[in-house]
Amino acid sequence: MSIVPLGESAWTVVLGDKVSRALHQRVTGLAARIEAARLPELVEIVPAYATVTVFFEGNAEEMRRRLEALCHHERSEVLDGSHPERSEVISTLHTIPVRYDGPDLQEVAEQTGLSPDEVVHRHAQPEYLVYLLGFVPGFAYLGDLHPSLVLPRRPAPRTRVPAGSVAIAGAQTAVYPLATPGGWHLLGSTSLEMFDPIREPAALLKAGDRVRFEPVS
Amino acid sequence: MIEIEKAPPFATVQDFGWRTGRAMGLPRSGAMDPLMLGLANSLVGNPAGAAGIEWALGAGTIFASEPCELVILGAGEVLVDGVSADPAHPVVRANAGTRLEIRPRPDHRFLYVAVRGGIDVPAVMESRSTYLPGGFGGFEGRRLKSGDVLPVGPALHSGLGGNVHPRITADPSDTDVTIRVSPGPQWERFDERARETLLESRFTVSPSSDRMGYRLDGPAITSGVTATLPSEAACPGAIQIPDGGQPIVIMPDGPTVGGYPKIAVVVAADLRLLAQCLPGRGVRFSPGPSRTRF
Repeated sequence: MSIVPLGESAWTVVLGDKVSRALHQRVTGLAARIEAARLPELVEIVPAYATVTVFFEGNAEEMRRRLEALCHHERSEVLDGSHPERSEVISTLHTIPVRYDGPDLQEVAEQTGLSPDEVVHRHAQPEYLVYLLGFVPGFAYLGDLHPSLVLPRRPAPRTRVPAGSVAIAGAQTAVYPLATPGGWHLLGSTSLEMFDPIREPAALLKAGDRVRFEPVS
Repeated sequence: MIEIEKAPPFATVQDFGWRTGRAMGLPRSGAMDPLMLGLANSLVGNPAGAAGIEWALGAGTIFASEPCELVILGAGEVLVDGVSADPAHPVVRANAGTRLEIRPRPDHRFLYVAVRGGIDVPAVMESRSTYLPGGFGGFEGRRLKSGDVLPVGPALHSGLGGNVHPRITADPSDTDVTIRVSPGPQWERFDERARETLLESRFTVSPSSDRMGYRLDGPAITSGVTATLPSEAACPGAIQIPDGGQPIVIMPDGPTVGGYPKIAVVVAADLRLLAQCLPGRGVRFSPGPSRTRF
């Protein structure tokens, strides 16, 4: 574990360099622990795959010392096996209805050697973990995709992917919250608003949540 | 109310942006040159972070539909009803029907218009900034166009206008801009040669630069660092090094996370200097005051 600077007003705690559910559990656990410490200088915590970044206002060295103390506790609990975070972190399960009629479904079926129905089945089967949000507001990176569906991104990204598109790329799946350019394979779409700036909270998902896709016609 | 009688190619309503929201992928957004917006606001008695107009890439005209006090900072020339305004007295007390013609400076990318009372568009998540990629915030979530009528809020304080004579100076556009940086999260993972390339080379601002990111042309920064990492938090000012080695500096509308290694981060106070650079402008990086030694 290391703590590295991200400019003058953020520290990034690096817990590892691989994508895994076990590591992400430590990420959300540490984020919850930092949140619970109610540090007065804290602005925001951004959990990602293998890191927790803490944005703050005020003295950087003091913040670093506080973070070191919190990380030290986390590490000793991981080492002695007590690591109680999982039960403390609230993980909401969301069900997202999907019409599997995306423009790339047939192509994905051809590239994976599966029938379109089987692609849908394998996409809708797992319970996904929200690893992080980014790219654009409300865009949640979900994993892990069934290994048979792992494909590289499309060679030529689309200039405009409609909001609500359900897509896959690499070992990940996501719902496009806004109409943006994108290079993922589009399997279908949902009518759920993944990001609504006038809703509270604006983003439907947060890191550590779980997601199921439910096929609808 | 003020009317954008003739809009420049790129103008949006901006304030200081969203203080939080990164955890859900919401960028800070807000003014590219917050110091100049803050100064403009102060001159007309607004809180520094009130919403104003960020104006770029050309000339245009504002029409005062009713009496108002406004200030235009960073312009090359302002004509008030056809008469060139004295740059040393930038606050304009406009009558209903006053027409302000705004011409940009050749060495600045952004100028700012503040109106006493602030641009009173609805706040979205506590900011009036326009976030164009999401189509929300600011005035209808979009760029201003000719004919738009912007509401002005009630005046809160008295302005400084008559007593302050700001002069916006800048180095001539043929000189390089020096921008201070602090080490980025992956600084230690770049080798000596890569670090030297960053700190001792001249880069130029690429034409493909916008409110999301500025690309820099110049020598490639290559090193043994893995091309991509599992995505982690980024921030405005972070200097990302993608595969080809051409740096991209994240700007206020840029992504909140990314997988490219970040060699350094522009010192917050200097990001506006980079923001104001037009394509082709020379840029050099220097080690800034930093808690971590280079």
